[in-house]
Amino acid sequence: MRFVERIKNTFVNNRFLAVLSVIGPGFIAGNAGNDAGGIATYSIMGAREGYGLLWALVLMMFALAVIQEMSARMGVVTGKGFGDLVREQFGIRVTLAIMALFVFANVTVIIAEFAGIAASMELFGVHKNVSVPISAFVVWFVVVKGNFKQVERFLIAISLIYLTYVFSGVMSNPPWREVARQIVIPHIRLDKDYFLLFITMVGTTITPYMQFYLQSAVVDKGVRIDEYRYAKFDVYAGSFMTVFIAFFIVLSTGTILHPAGVIVDSAENAAQALQPLAGDFAAHLFAIGLLNASFLAAFVLPLATAYGLSEAFGWESGVNKTFREAPQFLGFYTAFIVIGAGVIMVPDAPLIKIMFLSQTINGVLLPVVLIIMLRLVNDASIMGEFVNSKRMNVITWFTVAVLILLTGMLLVTSFVYTF
Amino acid sequence: MPFFAGDIFISDVYRKPVLDQIGEEIGKLKDIMVGLGDPFPAVTMLIAVSGKQIFLIPWDQVNLFNKRVISVNVLRKDLQPSMPAPSDILISRDLLDKQIVDINGAKLVRVNDLRLGDVSGKMCLVAVDIGLRGILRRLGLESRGEWFLSLFRYRMPNTLIGWHYLQPVEPKLSRLTLTISRQKASKLHPADLAEIISEVSQKERTAIFGTLDVETAAEALHELEPSVQADIIDDMSKEKASDILEQMPPDEAADVLGDLPENKAEELIGLMEQEDAEEVRELLEHEEDTAGGLMTTEYLAFPPDMTVEDAIRELRLEAPDVETVYYLYILDDEERLMGVVTLKDLILARPETFIRDIMRSPVKTLPLETGQKDVAEFISKYNLLAAPVVDENMVLRGIVTVDDVVDFLLPTASRKRRRKL
Repeated sequence: MRFVERIKNTFVNNRFLAVLSVIGPGFIAGNAGNDAGGIATYSIMGAREGYGLLWALVLMMFALAVIQEMSARMGVVTGKGFGDLVREQFGIRVTLAIMALFVFANVTVIIAEFAGIAASMELFGVHKNVSVPISAFVVWFVVVKGNFKQVERFLIAISLIYLTYVFSGVMSNPPWREVARQIVIPHIRLDKDYFLLFITMVGTTITPYMQFYLQSAVVDKGVRIDEYRYAKFDVYAGSFMTVFIAFFIVLSTGTILHPAGVIVDSAENAAQALQPLAGDFAAHLFAIGLLNASFLAAFVLPLATAYGLSEAFGWESGVNKTFREAPQFLGFYTAFIVIGAGVIMVPDAPLIKIMFLSQTINGVLLPVVLIIMLRLVNDASIMGEFVNSKRMNVITWFTVAVLILLTGMLLVTSFVYTF
Repeated sequence: MPFFAGDIFISDVYRKPVLDQIGEEIGKLKDIMVGLGDPFPAVTMLIAVSGKQIFLIPWDQVNLFNKRVISVNVLRKDLQPSMPAPSDILISRDLLDKQIVDINGAKLVRVNDLRLGDVSGKMCLVAVDIGLRGILRRLGLESRGEWFLSLFRYRMPNTLIGWHYLQPVEPKLSRLTLTISRQKASKLHPADLAEIISEVSQKERTAIFGTLDVETAAEALHELEPSVQADIIDDMSKEKASDILEQMPPDEAADVLGDLPENKAEELIGLMEQEDAEEVRELLEHEEDTAGGLMTTEYLAFPPDMTVEDAIRELRLEAPDVETVYYLYILDDEERLMGVVTLKDLILARPETFIRDIMRSPVKTLPLETGQKDVAEFISKYNLLAAPVVDENMVLRGIVTVDDVVDFLLPTASRKRRRKL
């Protein structure tokens, strides 16, 4: 009896277990950033520029970590989601404007995720009329019927499938010395194509839905203030993993497609192009990665949107809740999945236009979200002693300023493409 | 003494100019300070902002306060800028947009607007607006929104919750609890209670009903949509449910039971008192939307050979148990309807007269299977408060009172909508 208790105590007091129990929101939010659109961008980056933009990915990791950390901190300290705080601190007008952009942008991204599912399954010969309804049902069922813990574990498990990209990256057998050299001494070109890819990468790696999701999930999970250091670890691990995966995507297309001069314009395109050059296995791994990425984001985006709406209007929300307890939250979750999957089933939907549109709207939204975030996180009446330190503010304002500048430029270019 | 309009929303006056004695603008109205009083917090200060300067103007210096003009009895040059203390309660800063939770802590909705009103001569915070109307008013789009929705034949409801049902739960007031304590709830009009209950989720609804006494619960239940009624009864303990059903008029109880699964309804009837159970069972046999389904079996019945004096004495004894006392139905030995005496007839008649001599006959009657629309038209045509329902042998089976069919008599727009979530 004593023995059993001692073992139990050792494990309960074990810091490793404490970390494991808190890990989740940051890890999932980060990985969900590598969605269908993200993988397309990274594939194109590698194919067009080889290792020429890897240095930027490393910088993105820091930017992502800095921003996600603030989201997690706000969630832990206030116990409120981003939608809650915006409504309470900025009133109804700002809230409605942000929510309108947020919902519209996210719906278009959800459509893109189901498009990713359809495209990757078609590489395995499964028609979209089969793959899309089935995956939509699974996405709906898991969240509506599962509790928070089950859903979180499920999403963490999916996040680990991203490692297929690491395999396909390593299998491509890149010249590691050259890769390292390109990171340390980047060869930056100042032409339009190079720059456009750079800012597109920024726009796809840091997106508003990640911050909304992270903060809401931290609140839904009920992470306490004394667990904050573990939550911080979760965020940093998530940011690292996100960029780590992106890195290997660039490596595989950069090693195989770039030297061959193959130009790709989408992720499924890249998988197809890999087949003759790197073999079936590498191509299949790549396609599975795309399927998985779209699938994960198809969970996270409707969730983030439903959380945000429920917070802004004060409705009950939470993955643990039933339809009776949180009708609006689960109702919107369901509606977003139906819309996302439904549009894909429509023949000849203008998907490319939709994706540029979502990029444009996210480009408008991100600066607003980041500025509001910095104002909230520095408000002592909300954050108490957990406001940003001076040093932290220098880092975050600098990061945010650069991001705003870059998304501003992205906005101009994608606006040109949209209209 | 400030002169103010009866009802004002904070969004109506927010950012309106505050004028001094000689009409010079002091600043724009930024907020309103209240003192926490019971039951309604009274306005203590107006807060006006001009550039970076903040002015606090005591409420008793206010001259006029309405949607168009806010003027005060001081001169701008005499005012000193000052700051409200963090502990002061500013309704816009501290209450607007904040979360309302129910007694179990589940989130319901946010405060979309705040209504000020006159409570015995003092300007107080009286209610919070939680509806779409409040959001549109904040955006200055209330009338346009109303017009737009009217294109879809949708009438925007007023969804206000009285301040006395709300209690701050956090020191900074960022959360308000909707408190429906037993004490407060029993003071509510059943229709208001139904409105609040329809705002909360199923689980909380049952919880709220659990705290009410049987009588209040029965009345509030009656105001809700039939399917919601059935849900609530279904979730309650059987004993409590059958107690509430006994309290309800038999026709209402039959309606609720009619929406439940048959075995559950049967079980609840079994738990009710013999007499009530039989009445309900009888009513359940009729189609819900016919005279038989609408009628109640509680009415006043008298034999023809009674004197008016005896009848009045008898009436006093029976009146508490029946829905309407305006008609006394006169039945023969086999319960066949012979005639009717109105309450007025009875009071005006000489005490020693026999009822047979003052009763009106023949009586307009409805067969059991008459449709609800025809019942409504019948009641409307003959200007009745209740109509007798008879079977093929003219035996009186029950009466349909006007309140059970009034919904069919009113034009669609003004019809009372039963609340449904």
